[in-house]
Amino acid sequence: MLAEGVYIVGAGMTAFSAKLHANKTGRELLVEASQEAVKSVDKGIMLHKDVEALFIGYFTPEYYEHQSHIGPLAATWLGLTPKPAFRTEIACASSSAALFAGVTAVASGLYDVVLVAGVEKMTSLETERVTEALALASDDLSESKVGATFPGLYALLAQAYFRRYGVTWEQLQRVPIKNHYNGSLNPKAHFQQTIGQIAEKVGKKLGVQYKDELDFLKNSPFNRVVAYPLRLFDCCPISDGAAVAILASGRAARRFTDTPLRLLGVGLGTDNVALQDRADLTSLVATRNAAEAAYRTAGISPKDLDVVEVHDCFTIAEWLAVEDLGLVGRGEAPRAYEEGLTGIEGEIPVNTDGGLKAKGHPVGATGIGMLNEVWHQLRGTAGRRQIKNKAEIGLVHNVGGSGASAAVFIFGR
Amino acid sequence: MSEGHLSLFYRELEAGRLTGSKCKACGEVFVPSRPLCSRCGGETETISLKGEGTVESFTVIHVPPVFLKDASPYILALVRLEEGALVMGRLIGYDPNKPEEVEIGVKVKFEALKEKHGEKEEAIVAFKP
Repeated sequence: MLAEGVYIVGAGMTAFSAKLHANKTGRELLVEASQEAVKSVDKGIMLHKDVEALFIGYFTPEYYEHQSHIGPLAATWLGLTPKPAFRTEIACASSSAALFAGVTAVASGLYDVVLVAGVEKMTSLETERVTEALALASDDLSESKVGATFPGLYALLAQAYFRRYGVTWEQLQRVPIKNHYNGSLNPKAHFQQTIGQIAEKVGKKLGVQYKDELDFLKNSPFNRVVAYPLRLFDCCPISDGAAVAILASGRAARRFTDTPLRLLGVGLGTDNVALQDRADLTSLVATRNAAEAAYRTAGISPKDLDVVEVHDCFTIAEWLAVEDLGLVGRGEAPRAYEEGLTGIEGEIPVNTDGGLKAKGHPVGATGIGMLNEVWHQLRGTAGRRQIKNKAEIGLVHNVGGSGASAAVFIFGR
Repeated sequence: MSEGHLSLFYRELEAGRLTGSKCKACGEVFVPSRPLCSRCGGETETISLKGEGTVESFTVIHVPPVFLKDASPYILALVRLEEGALVMGRLIGYDPNKPEEVEIGVKVKFEALKEKHGEKEEAIVAFKP
């Protein structure tokens, strides 16, 4: 239970990109996202005066920027020194840990206004070094040393899922097709082209014409195998980016806006890091536990959700997520995707911003990046990707690593 | 000075043997050996494992970590041992370019695979049909 109400009064993010931020550092990306968050506050805010503490998610700054001690560093660059500041880390869900720290700090009554953020500046390293950095989220001894990579771990989950439910890789391709379409509507997405548009471009270069998007995904050498059966378009890209949200207590929120989002529910989940220590390979128990806690604190059920952001670092992860969050039953994701249930115009839109697949995945920024999407959808400012139904309740689901950490937050208008 | 569980595990692995831990409270078996049960927190005892099991899932790594650049593509599998533990290991004895020939459910046997990791040679968990 939340003792005190917690409200979101502002949110901002940089574009997620592999190119745009080549000449910027993580700290500068944080500033850029914060400036947009400040602009989003309806009645204005002065960070230096109003913010009492800050919590920053960043997975591996040591690798990318030869830098630890991110909290105070961010405070310096945001002009927030000497406010309390620290970094949080649970791999790809690091900014959800920052959000959780902010939520508990406000819900406890300790602070009235806090800034939470996430950032990852990944393109400073070559792809193979990034692969190494990401592998730090797996069990170094039981997994990395044997040769496991992140795509490999999710490929193992995919194979177990395919086997259990008798589905195919082809059926799974509805996930990237949907997410690239959504990304094409999002000016901040890493990829803003549909797979059809990419197929046309690649086809022209190779002198081939692809029948449809699935034909391209299946038969183009461009969509090479990364970890069988997962191919390039089953994997999210390597992106730079930062995202920020400003949280306020009930008594402070109205100073900043008359239409804040209210945090309705929150849940965290943990599982064994190594896949070999897991009880089930066709579901993420951490997500199920986080979701159960979030629905309980919010007093709602999955049926009440209008828009959902899930952690689709790999295509199979989106199927596991919609099942583990209870949007559909176990084993029902393939059919739900065939029927378009999770499209922007579907019954329960999932990853309207393009998801990690198309929007990008600057690891530490992802959770609060998802919150940014819910902020826009619930306030009706999502532009071309605004869902058609009235958006009253939105959910954010962020996973760390191959599922050892999960966080779920539910927001209402 | 007593030996740590992981030191023992890797020393045994170098010698070609697979060890695990069995929980004295709930009976769950884990690899590698560890002081406390990851399921219930109970105390464990170290046991030797027969190394026989079935493949529960597998993948072929085509984009490897830097230290395995020359080894790819290679097959990774999650194997359910007869004693109950699930173990990740390299699957050898198959052509990594013919993943359709690997079957989930196939019976495999443990082998310690010596592999060059940079300058040093290390033993890793592997299985073969």
